[in-house]
Amino acid sequence: MIRTEEMMLNVGPQHPSTHGVFRLVIKVDGETIVEATPVIGYLHRGTEKLAEDLQYTQIIPYTDRMDYISAMTNNYVLCHAVETMMGAELPDRAEYLRVLAMELGRVASHLVWFGTYLLDIGAVSPFLYAFREREMIINLLNELSGARLTFNYMRVGGVKWDAPDGWLEKVREFVPYMREQLKGYHDLVTGNEIFLNRVKGIGKYTKEEAIQYSLSGANLRCTGVEWDLRKHETYSVYDRFDFNVITREGGDAWSRYQCRMAEIEESLKIIEQAVEQIPDDGKYMGKVPRIIKAPKGEAFVRIESPRGEIGCYIASEGKKEPYRLKFRRPSFYNLQILPKLLKGENMANLITILGGVDIVLGEVDG
Amino acid sequence: MLGLAKGLKYTLKNLTKEKMTYQYPEEPIPMPDRFRGIQKFYPEKCIVCNQCANICPTDCIELTGKKHPDPEKKGKIIDTYDINFEICILCDLCTEVCPTEAIVMTNNFELAEYSRDELFKNLEWLDENDQNVRKENKA
Amino acid sequence: MTWIDSLLQSQPSWTNFAIFAGLGVTMLSITLGFVTFAILAERKVMGYMQLRHGPNRVGGRFGLLQSVADILKLLLKEDTRPKQADKTLFVLAPVIAYAPAFLVIAVIPFTEAFKFTDIGVGLLYYIAISGISTIGIVTAGWASNNKYALMGGMRAAAQMISYEIPLVMSVIGIILFTGSLNLVEIVQAQENIAFIFLQPIAFLIFLIAGTAELNRTPFDLPEAESELVAGYHVEYSGFRWAFFMLSEYVYLFALSALITVLFLGGWNAPIPGIGLNEIGLGAVWFTIKFIVIVFLFMWMRITFPRLRADQLMEFGWKVLLPIALANIFLSALIKELFF
Repeated sequence: MIRTEEMMLNVGPQHPSTHGVFRLVIKVDGETIVEATPVIGYLHRGTEKLAEDLQYTQIIPYTDRMDYISAMTNNYVLCHAVETMMGAELPDRAEYLRVLAMELGRVASHLVWFGTYLLDIGAVSPFLYAFREREMIINLLNELSGARLTFNYMRVGGVKWDAPDGWLEKVREFVPYMREQLKGYHDLVTGNEIFLNRVKGIGKYTKEEAIQYSLSGANLRCTGVEWDLRKHETYSVYDRFDFNVITREGGDAWSRYQCRMAEIEESLKIIEQAVEQIPDDGKYMGKVPRIIKAPKGEAFVRIESPRGEIGCYIASEGKKEPYRLKFRRPSFYNLQILPKLLKGENMANLITILGGVDIVLGEVDG
Repeated sequence: MLGLAKGLKYTLKNLTKEKMTYQYPEEPIPMPDRFRGIQKFYPEKCIVCNQCANICPTDCIELTGKKHPDPEKKGKIIDTYDINFEICILCDLCTEVCPTEAIVMTNNFELAEYSRDELFKNLEWLDENDQNVRKENKA
Repeated sequence: MTWIDSLLQSQPSWTNFAIFAGLGVTMLSITLGFVTFAILAERKVMGYMQLRHGPNRVGGRFGLLQSVADILKLLLKEDTRPKQADKTLFVLAPVIAYAPAFLVIAVIPFTEAFKFTDIGVGLLYYIAISGISTIGIVTAGWASNNKYALMGGMRAAAQMISYEIPLVMSVIGIILFTGSLNLVEIVQAQENIAFIFLQPIAFLIFLIAGTAELNRTPFDLPEAESELVAGYHVEYSGFRWAFFMLSEYVYLFALSALITVLFLGGWNAPIPGIGLNEIGLGAVWFTIKFIVIVFLFMWMRITFPRLRADQLMEFGWKVLLPIALANIFLSALIKELFF
């Protein structure tokens, strides 16, 4: 008599496709997943607790290390929260430099996602092509901020450095170059029948489910919900740019792929306009006291990071350090839908779905 | 099939394109001036104000001062200055707060050692680290 | 009648045995040499296509000794075995996977003179023997006592069964045209026109099914790195692991040679009828065609993503097999009407 039984399988924390130290305990019947339980916390560093003993300026380098793929948005959300509490006025040039840095970071982040996603699906080359362009962005940001990944660029009240000589020109030149390369990506990947078969209809969820699970970013917009904080709860100088909110109707991995690729183009549009509009007065730091103290009270701000809505809550007692700091980390919230999506899928789809959510473990674990 | 053919064409086209890799250990990678590398310390400029040790997010700087040997002069001079590069995150905050630019960044970034103990760098070492010092320190 | 033919047809003797043993060892070294440099070539081509240089440290600018260094490293590596593994099968699996890879080379005629056998059912022999390797892979998956390895082994078995059939079916057209399973006769039948022009559909099916047999991207599911970590050889290390790698590349050698023989006309000159066949460059023509096929395999690996297990099965049974069957019918019609 042949007997079959379910098998418990640990995917991670040492698995090539979990993008860090993420663990997924799955029960499989053959290759079909019956049950999936995500286990997180392997990269927990207690940023929020540490922040309670740190001055606001000192927290900025810690935010770099949360979502290390797009550190600029993290820098921004903290500074934005403190500035909101203090009611600080920023010079325009600082805002434009921030937007440029964030949008370049968004392009770089989506490029990393594109490369690693294709790597998950089994194609090696797109990864290296994507990293060629990412390297250029990283070099640009390196010239601007002095670091390649953990920028520590923004300060409460402005930015640390003004743009170096010729930097804006380089950014301007980068935009058409990147557009050209994107065409190449579409040739290499987007039309590829094997790829289409792998992603179409995989990991599908509806608009309602996406909202119920509190998804954000491309994971939400792929279901057709038009929600982008840059447009709908505009912050910084985003209201001065002309760009579209990308939505797709499918709600599957293919829609998420399309969303992110189209978002790269939208970001390029913003970069192009920002380089044109940036004021030339050389003032990049607002008037803030030397020791930054947020007034007593609390504030919550949220912005659009490449992965979704990143929020920052500060409760302050008027001291140099926050009383409590909390980040709404989009990867963590986006991950919640995973057990539901994985049920009934097979091993190969597990990778496609997990990759499509676009998680960064530094952010999930905080 | 058309999509597959397009992909094949793209990879073939790249066969002869310029290579993007660095020949790193043989040829050093030029870093932009602002790059934050290992700190350079000027003991003669230091006024022992302790601001760098206070601002450091990871508490990796330890310093002690002593009385100025010239009894006429007020203030202190630096005695020991250690940075623990095991936990230093090269965040640039120490150079930002330093009022006399006694501590500045360089563009050197090669810190690999065989022993963890060697990552404790003292005053002499930081003083001798005088190559590729950053030109623009205060923005 | 060439020298080798008379040798093949002579009475069995110890001298005869010694000569063939010597030739076998020579062939073995040539194949291993090919494997060494095929790995290097693959890494180089992959590097160049991906805007990198590939190996460039060991053995000069082109990394000529890189594979040698890798093999030496593998020889020196500790040989680990999981405690709960099935000891006998664990040791046996690489051998089962590796031995058939060499056995199949015996039937391939490289040139008119350079061949080891001349058996009537050469093509059938190749396909039958190469199927044995799967048992080695399944054994490895089972014996490792690892869940990922088990999945890899199962995938390999399913894939092999599904793709062996279209592979055989696609060459029936050629057998119809030639009227023989003997590989030498198949090459001789292509003196005027290579079968790739008469049987383009069969060539495509054979290429696809062959890639699946080789477990190479886009059909590398048994060892899919991003899904099953390393698949069936996840628990193997050192030289046992090297055996799996070696067998993969020896199969690359054998299958590329077989495609050259079946579809590209083997040692016949690429342009027939202008007297190129007579000048004795058979080995050169063969090598050129062979390298083109090997490059094609590498090129596909660099460009394509991986298929999904269930889509792979569907593609094999619902697409490749019907087309292969239709191709047989078409070939029969052409044969009946025009030849």
